[in-house]
Amino acid sequence: MSAAAGQDPGDVGRDGAAAVPEPPDRQHPTNGLDETVHQRHRLGILTITAEAKSAEFGYLREALGLTAGNLSRHLTVLEEAGLVQVTKGYQGRRPRTWVRITGEGRTALAKELAALTELLRRHGPADEDEQAAERA
Amino acid sequence: MAATSGGSEPDSDGASGSAAGATSAVQQESGELLSEVARLRRQARSARHAYWFPLVIFGVLTCASVPFYIQGPARGGAFRIGLGYPFALGGLPGLGGGSHLAYYWLAAIAVGLTLTGLWYRRHGRKVGVVTPSRGYLITGAVLVVLSLLPWLFLELGHSFLILMPGDLFIRGTFPLVIIALGFWMLAWAERSWALLAIVAVYTASALLASLYNIENVLFRLGWHPAGSQWRLTALPNVLLPALVLLIAGAGAFLVQRRAPRLT
Repeated sequence: MSAAAGQDPGDVGRDGAAAVPEPPDRQHPTNGLDETVHQRHRLGILTITAEAKSAEFGYLREALGLTAGNLSRHLTVLEEAGLVQVTKGYQGRRPRTWVRITGEGRTALAKELAALTELLRRHGPADEDEQAAERA
Repeated sequence: MAATSGGSEPDSDGASGSAAGATSAVQQESGELLSEVARLRRQARSARHAYWFPLVIFGVLTCASVPFYIQGPARGGAFRIGLGYPFALGGLPGLGGGSHLAYYWLAAIAVGLTLTGLWYRRHGRKVGVVTPSRGYLITGAVLVVLSLLPWLFLELGHSFLILMPGDLFIRGTFPLVIIALGFWMLAWAERSWALLAIVAVYTASALLASLYNIENVLFRLGWHPAGSQWRLTALPNVLLPALVLLIAGAGAFLVQRRAPRLT
């Protein structure tokens, strides 16, 4: 489910030869980005739920500035990917929906944050200076 | 929010410019996402921080233990190890401790942990983000059980020498060390540097209270117990850690009372 997915076994290069996959430490950090997690609001949901034992639907909606319908759709995507667990219940007479991150969700979040940090590091000020020098 | 694919070599000025633009966009997007993640993380932590309550409740429970530290009339006779009560919690009679103190702390820590667990549950429901406090509660309970083991072994007739830090036990202030160790877990669960600093100060005061007669410092400062005042000389060891908890708890309350309520 990578945004810039790693090479599939069937990938071929320009000259028709089979592409040789780069070793993991040399792959571009975008390969570590997961489309499910990379979406801004879903990344926000995972971030908040990773900070707590569980987070309530209303808190997530307010913190992320989403409508209930939008948040529901994002939660469905994350739940189907096995990254969060959604539990419905009641607090007194009020219905409450609690969201809890799974172990898989924590791993995916950590991987995404590592990829973003690596992207920033690779394309930092030093890289910009090199490109400016090339253009000159 | 599509991720860019890396690896293609620019072969003209136009391609070079567009590659630089794409790189800049990726960099900007990554920076924005990481900033947003940091903001949401801070916001969630701030909303769920509620550690003023356990600080205050254990401060109050420590103050409530004061009557048990008022020493009774001196009695002759040698002390026997395995005193018939959990001496790790109660210390030695004649040094400000005793069986009543041991059972008081056993009950007080159980009450404190239970109230703290209920408090975090209530606070989590109110604000919409729940602090994972179970690790703290389990740590506290396990430490209390461990502190009972030396007494239980001796009561069951095991005569082997148990290596234990006796100096920490004798003044009857070891429960303060147990509370401090539990608070380290709470600081981790709360992900709070402020609580970590408070716990470091409290741990230092609890260890000082367990290893040293703070009365000696007060003596040098001009407190010379006379008459029946000698019975109060164990109290500074209890009141100093209690004061740390109550002051820190009051400060934390002022900061945390404005936690947003879930609508």
